[in-house]
Amino acid sequence: MDFHLNILKIDCKQKVERICGFIRQQMQSLKREGAVVGLSGGIDSALIVALCVEALGKDKVFGLILPEKESNPISKEHALKQARKIGIDTEIIDIGSTLDGFGTYKQRDEIIKKIFPEYNSHYKLKITLPPDLLSRDTFNIFTLTIDDGKGNVKSARLKKDVLNAIVAATNTKQRTRMMHLYYYAEKMNYLVCGTTNRTEIIQGFFVKFGDGGVDIEPIAHLYKTQVYLLSEHLGVIEEIKQRTPSPDTYSFVVSDEEFFFRIPFNKLDLLLYAWENDVPQEEILEAMELTENQVNRAFRDFNAKKNATEHFRKPPPSLL
Amino acid sequence: MPDDIKNVLKDFIVENFLPFADENPFDDNDSFMEKGIINSAGVLELLQFIEERYNIKVEDEEVVPDNLDSLNKLVSFIEKKVKV
Repeated sequence: MDFHLNILKIDCKQKVERICGFIRQQMQSLKREGAVVGLSGGIDSALIVALCVEALGKDKVFGLILPEKESNPISKEHALKQARKIGIDTEIIDIGSTLDGFGTYKQRDEIIKKIFPEYNSHYKLKITLPPDLLSRDTFNIFTLTIDDGKGNVKSARLKKDVLNAIVAATNTKQRTRMMHLYYYAEKMNYLVCGTTNRTEIIQGFFVKFGDGGVDIEPIAHLYKTQVYLLSEHLGVIEEIKQRTPSPDTYSFVVSDEEFFFRIPFNKLDLLLYAWENDVPQEEILEAMELTENQVNRAFRDFNAKKNATEHFRKPPPSLL
Repeated sequence: MPDDIKNVLKDFIVENFLPFADENPFDDNDSFMEKGIINSAGVLELLQFIEERYNIKVEDEEVVPDNLDSLNKLVSFIEKKVKV
């Protein structure tokens, strides 16, 4: 194995052909007439919609933009701009009323008030993991941070029941989006095209039956780094390529790295590749100029996340 | 005291994270994370338990595998905190 920093480079033309072939084959196999894509304003969905248009033609691809009150307004702008560039039809549906009806915000806010009694809906909030796994050996313990918008920022380590409640409430956002995507897909006899990449799938960075509830996942084999390469090749708009990846789920802006991955993508994907392909440790240390401790720490984190989310990737165990 | 702490912790871990496991499901030096005995959510539960049981405060910077990732490490950590 010859492990080096450019090992994730891909033949973009060939990759596009392979993915488009897959999309068309699945269309045939599932007997559908087109693809619905949830456009988040992020790079994965921007790439997916470009690939679907490449595979099927713009008249057979429909983009749904599904913001809510805590979404960054720039996400909708970017999603629309990308959709207009490739010429697909779109619809914008604010899912806030669905979330209100379910009680998403109310239930989550009641839990947060138990930690910060002063918290109200005008505050911004986020949950984050400890930064920089390569520098510090810590557990994946979430911290809740609130900001009153007047310069007062407070943080607290979350207890298990509070974390579970916040995550359960927040996951209703992705599951509500899934519902809207399937409504349109079934009405139009289209399939729902997923946007999850390999970096996310391996570690379980998606919501079960949320953004994980789709018909096909054409970029499940691409590391995030490769998503960027292909996006460049297919002309995804610059604003999306430049924007720091974010779950865009909390009102306080948080990056994917702060929220979940704890390692910057340029190192993360190489380490993931090395872990998945049993690259000898001495090759990793030399190529990436890391220490043994750092690599072991990263691999332990990958193992823990993969094991904890195994059930996300499998169909439900069934007694037949 | 160390045996008491060890037994209390072992009972808590088995009851809460390994209720259907065989007797002696882990050794005192086994890594909880590597063996899949406790995940990150479980660490939160464990922290809450030891803080309440031993009336100690575990600071964020102390939530590290060196302090918490095996039965023996947990016992040493709690002993140090209780003495302070």
